[in-house]
Amino acid sequence: MWLVFFKEIKELLRDRKTLFFMIALPILIFPLIFGGMAYFTAQAFEKAESKVLKYAVVNAQYAPELAKDLVQSDKFERVDIGDNTDYAGLIKSDAIDFAIVMPENYSADILQSGQLTITLHLNDAQLNMVHNRVNALVQKYADEYQALAFSTLGVSAEQQGALLNPIELKQISTADQRENWGEKIGGMLPYLLFILCFQGAMFPATDIGAGEKERGTLETLLISPIDRTKIVLGKFLTIACAGATTALITVISMAVWGLVLSRGFAMQFVTDFMSQIGIVDFVLMFLMLIPLVAIFASVLLSISIYARSFKEAQSYMGPLVIFVIIPVMVALMPGVELKGGWSWVPLTNVALAMKELVKGTMDYFQLIAIFGSTALIAVLLLGFCVYWFKQEKVLFR
Amino acid sequence: MIEIIGLAKKFSVENPKKLSEQERKDPRLKGRFFHSVIDVSLTCQPGEVLGLLGPNGAGKTTTLRMLSTALKPDSGSVSINGTNVLSNPVIARKKIGFLSGSTGLYGRLSGRENIEYFAKLHGMSQGQIKQRIESLAELLDMHTFLDRRSENFSTGMKQKVAIARAVVHSPEVVILDEPTTGLDIMATQTVLSFIRGLKELGTPVIFSTHHLDEVSELCDRVAVIDQGLSKFDGPLQQFTELADGSLHGAFLTSIEQGK
Repeated sequence: MWLVFFKEIKELLRDRKTLFFMIALPILIFPLIFGGMAYFTAQAFEKAESKVLKYAVVNAQYAPELAKDLVQSDKFERVDIGDNTDYAGLIKSDAIDFAIVMPENYSADILQSGQLTITLHLNDAQLNMVHNRVNALVQKYADEYQALAFSTLGVSAEQQGALLNPIELKQISTADQRENWGEKIGGMLPYLLFILCFQGAMFPATDIGAGEKERGTLETLLISPIDRTKIVLGKFLTIACAGATTALITVISMAVWGLVLSRGFAMQFVTDFMSQIGIVDFVLMFLMLIPLVAIFASVLLSISIYARSFKEAQSYMGPLVIFVIIPVMVALMPGVELKGGWSWVPLTNVALAMKELVKGTMDYFQLIAIFGSTALIAVLLLGFCVYWFKQEKVLFR
Repeated sequence: MIEIIGLAKKFSVENPKKLSEQERKDPRLKGRFFHSVIDVSLTCQPGEVLGLLGPNGAGKTTTLRMLSTALKPDSGSVSINGTNVLSNPVIARKKIGFLSGSTGLYGRLSGRENIEYFAKLHGMSQGQIKQRIESLAELLDMHTFLDRRSENFSTGMKQKVAIARAVVHSPEVVILDEPTTGLDIMATQTVLSFIRGLKELGTPVIFSTHHLDEVSELCDRVAVIDQGLSKFDGPLQQFTELADGSLHGAFLTSIEQGK
């Protein structure tokens, strides 16, 4: 069995295509996802921040100071729109980016005028910083007028706070940051891991089953004095190993790149988040992948050995990806938790458990159900694979 | 020696509608089963080369696959030097060297690694393997390419490695399924001289072929199969006598027999 295993591994390692899918892809995919997202988001924000906005001001005479500030800022460009009040049309035709309408009651003495409402017309569907940027100018006067009003009324600093917010409803979430983010990240993790695991196992599986048939080496192997069960186990281990390696590299790459990029971009919370997930959790995550990989490997090997050629095997395996994705999607649905029946649903339970582990809210007793059901299915499928490999109608189609 | 008595093998037909016109007319198709081999018997003594003849689809490959333990026969017996192949397939496999015309190599392994792998599967020690590969490389003139990756080999090189792989464990009998089909003249010569070498060593050889000149050049015995039935099994001389020395005539006559 080990003989078959080592030979297959040797062959696998000499294949560039496999190495690319097994090692390079998981290593590169994370910096691409993380880095790409960070880069493009930063770019978009920077652009929105530094873009010179064209604006129209209506009733500027009521708030001359504010209007002057807008004119003086080099990040705003005034456009004269006359009496046209079709702001939506103007914004749509790109004549202006926003229109600001000053209220008639505008006055520094807010005790007399009451609340001032400045209206801002803009297209808020796109990423824009209009509100932020205008607000930065407006806030200066708001604070000034507020302070003026308080001093007129003779309100002390403590009273000011109480007046502004008489009762504060203070909220302290028992979910720590880890649980909060774990819910989001932990849901995506199995998605990625499952698919990469499957992909990593898929190529070697095609190669050592259907590939062997296509090259005409299978017959020679079958009449070697080695039990067919051992051949299957050797091949099975190779595929499982390839799948697990891909998964392991993925997890490591994710951890390393997550840390590197969070340091680089000074995202403190990512660093904290990563450091909160213990080694035990990572090990458990990896351990859960083992029976999972075994399931993938037996299914893929059974298909591969049935197929007459590489092409046939690939066309059978392609649609299988859906069966890998669906259980993960189920795990992402609201209301599906690692409790009762769900902890016995294969694949879904592993996806759920990974989420729990990332969140740090794992009920470790559930591991029995998860390992139990997954391992049981893996053993059954492997048994089927061994049986399948002994069928003449499968080997000599 | 090799002795095959009353071998039979049927395959289940999953979808009879998919069969070709010719296959449907074949009398061997009975209901949901295709009786590929119905009754085949033949013998081959030490030092003899037996040529297995028959038209396409006669059941030659199935017979040889049963002989080499790749397939399990439904009935009949196969024995090699007294070992019952059917009850002890793993022991029998150590005694058999098998090569077919369509055999391939593991492309990403070198010629040497290809041979080594099968030698190890046969349970040979590292020392034995090294020695054996050395002598086979000498015999088949493989030194120049043995350590290169086999995916770039020419047909002739591949065939030499395949031969070395088939006999690395010094089998007691050698079975060849159309070993020269699809090969060029040089590669064919390699195979033929290899068979001759085995004959000199006293190793019985069974090979199936469509080339009658190969039969007249190498064979001591001839067996003819048609539609899963043995039509002839005897010495070459007796075979040629069927049609005044013409092998083609003898072949046709033997098939016509019993019709």
